[in-house]
Amino acid sequence: MAVTLNAIMVIAVPAFDKLDSISFDQLLARQDPFGAARPLIDLHGVRLVTPAGLVKLAAALHAIARDGRTPTITQIDDSVRTYLMRSGFVSIVTPVAEFDPPFPSHVPNTFERMRGSNPLLIEVTKLESGKALPQLLNQIVGVLNRRFKYPKYDAFDAATAVSEIAQNTFDHNCGACGFLAMQVYGTGPKRFLEIGVSDFGDGVAATLMRNPKIGSIPSDGHAIRLATQLGTSAFDDPTRGTGLFHLLEIAFKHEGSVQIWSGRAKMRFRMDQKRGWEFTVPNLPGVHVAMTLRSKTSSHQRARKVDRK
Amino acid sequence: MIHNFPLHKYGRQLWTRDLARKVRAELHKILEKADEGDAVVLNLKDVEVFDFSFANELFGKTLFSLPAEFPGRFVLFEHLTPYTRENLINALEGMKLMAISRKGGTYELIGKAHPADVETFNALSQLRQPSTAANLADMFRVNLTAMHERLNKLVEAGVVRREASTSSAGRVQYLYAVPR
Repeated sequence: MAVTLNAIMVIAVPAFDKLDSISFDQLLARQDPFGAARPLIDLHGVRLVTPAGLVKLAAALHAIARDGRTPTITQIDDSVRTYLMRSGFVSIVTPVAEFDPPFPSHVPNTFERMRGSNPLLIEVTKLESGKALPQLLNQIVGVLNRRFKYPKYDAFDAATAVSEIAQNTFDHNCGACGFLAMQVYGTGPKRFLEIGVSDFGDGVAATLMRNPKIGSIPSDGHAIRLATQLGTSAFDDPTRGTGLFHLLEIAFKHEGSVQIWSGRAKMRFRMDQKRGWEFTVPNLPGVHVAMTLRSKTSSHQRARKVDRK
Repeated sequence: MIHNFPLHKYGRQLWTRDLARKVRAELHKILEKADEGDAVVLNLKDVEVFDFSFANELFGKTLFSLPAEFPGRFVLFEHLTPYTRENLINALEGMKLMAISRKGGTYELIGKAHPADVETFNALSQLRQPSTAANLADMFRVNLTAMHERLNKLVEAGVVRREASTSSAGRVQYLYAVPR
């Protein structure tokens, strides 16, 4: 982007070319769309948007629109524009956001016809109830089982974890919904998949504090830690509060990595050490979970390397 | 009487709390028809997987409400695979619940059960007839109060049934039984 300030041309060099679960906080910090009267998301320099980036962006745009403003997405690279259409993102956010330059009106429908045709991609899907989930979970099981060499029951484990976080998006929120997307990257032993699930609801802290047995929660980071403990829930109900706990257990079992973002805190769980690192990030409404799983081939190769040491 | 409740008719892969709510409503109807001493068998034949939300909504809520809503009725699990069994146990332990699994003709207590609970349940199961607390206390060489505590816990969990009967001396006595 080139801007002229007092006769000096300032060229803003993008800090990242990939919008994913790591760089999304940089985008928010630089552009602060939640604080702007005319919110603008500038994707200048971005060459790749991952599923976690897509669903976070979709949730952010819906959150801004809920506040009565219409966000605009601008400076989109041509290849990214195509991907935003193919990934279902454009049709999901068109009711709440504008693109500059706009997409021709027929474009979203054209790409919508391709929805579900690629087993390695789950287009951005709106989650308002459990209705859409079985088909999405079956696709995840199929990819992990056939392409990632996961034994069937390991694939079921991963689908179970996704099911739990996806159900949280509509179980815990009124007037908001969730979004899910998945993409497979790489080939052979370097193959991995990323699944992103986001909503634009009240966030973990406010949700947990609906439970009268949970007192005040000092920070978003504390709330995320609480929510990953077995039996902690917005509901005072012993059959609740298992979703995020099982997500981490299952991700650890299959050497995946997980990121949970709520409010001003982001926690990354590295599963080789079964612990989480907390980061302070710009405020983002809702809860945002990203999970990465590698092909079993790469896990096995790494295990063999460790064995040899 | 045994009431068979096959779960595979809802799918081989049982996802979501929403689905479990529908299944629970139908299970509720079966339990309403069941008499004291009857058992409803949750038959998991051909079920490959269920998620924790499904398990908590269907199994958890049913087991929590069973002793109060349907006293004297049993809910059993049958045809568990190693995978569904492991997930069921994880779900039950997370909710601090115990349940009965049936395999062949034998019963097994699974979930959050203390070894003393398992021991008492197994003894009742092997006796193949209802027994008094005194008889069981003698078997395990524990005092009667301790045995009453164990049995009350199992009755409250819905895995043992208490029935009133008359002793040979003509007094009211309570017998404890597992499904027959």
